[in-house]
Amino acid sequence: MRIETCYFCSSKIYPGHGVNFVRNDCKIFKFCRGKCHKAFKRKKNPRKVGWTKAHRKAAGKELAIDPSFEFEKRRNVPIKYSRETWQKALEAIKRVTEIKEKRTSQFVMERLRKGRQIEIQMDVKDVQRNMSLIRSPAAGLRERRAKEAAEEAALMEEDLPEEKITYVDARELEKKLEEGMGIEDLEMLEA
Amino acid sequence: MGMVTKRKKMHYGDTHLQRRWRVRNRRRDLDQIDDDLRTRSGELMNQNVDLDKPGFAQFYCVHCAKYFIDDTAMQAHFRTKVHKRRLKALEIEPYSIEEAERAAGRGSFVKPKKRAMETQPSKDDVVAGKRIRVEEVPEDTAATDSPSTSKTKRKKAEKMET
Repeated sequence: MRIETCYFCSSKIYPGHGVNFVRNDCKIFKFCRGKCHKAFKRKKNPRKVGWTKAHRKAAGKELAIDPSFEFEKRRNVPIKYSRETWQKALEAIKRVTEIKEKRTSQFVMERLRKGRQIEIQMDVKDVQRNMSLIRSPAAGLRERRAKEAAEEAALMEEDLPEEKITYVDARELEKKLEEGMGIEDLEMLEA
Repeated sequence: MGMVTKRKKMHYGDTHLQRRWRVRNRRRDLDQIDDDLRTRSGELMNQNVDLDKPGFAQFYCVHCAKYFIDDTAMQAHFRTKVHKRRLKALEIEPYSIEEAERAAGRGSFVKPKKRAMETQPSKDDVVAGKRIRVEEVPEDTAATDSPSTSKTKRKKAEKMET
């Protein structure tokens, strides 16, 4: 009795489960359930179907390359039973699985950490892009405008030279105009 | 994939799918074709006359595992999308039982190799001794040959000049 692996999803197939398909070139394809068998019949490529182990390993979702994977093998040579080797093998299996689990979990954490960094970067970008939502660009606009206006006014005052204004009595001016002098003459007089 | 949800009919050709997926209608798989290409392509391209096969088995596309009635039909097939798609699919090493086992944790992951695929040579060339070759494309050259990287390189060169 062996625990076989599914051709499509690489899961375990316990005795009494699944389907075997023997192709006309004598290759045996084992499937854990109808889902996998159906997918095979539809000629789906397991590498391109997200829920298969083949896809997850090819896409770097899981630990795929590690020396701890080299222990388990299909050995088609029967070994004569001896109590000592049996016990040793059991111990070794425990140890190897322990190490493997540690490494896989570490791999996953490493992967997630990377995702967290990217998330932080994205957050910073998002804030920079949408700064207007946090602080309105119109905040303190009135004060700013008032300040600007004051500055402008100050500049204008500095720029304009002060003209001398001579005041003339209105009645006298009228009299002079009546006498028949034009404005030009008046100006001449003043000069 | 839509295995659980009900399948929407988007193409007129999608009829009698269950019948097509029956084992008796099964065509050659990609890994079988890959084997054909590597080991017995010459034999397949130059077959003996078989009166039961279409075109007496004289016009066979190895990549698509299909017989044609004459040369014009075969040449037309080489220009179709079906054939080009098949070439593309065969570029990557096909999935195998060994890969399934590796994925299950018996052995480390091995990246599937990429190969160059071309339409088979004409029959005269085959008789003259030409065969289909399945050559692996080394990773480095594939990377440098691709247009995107060369473009970036060019851009970099321009920047250096300016």
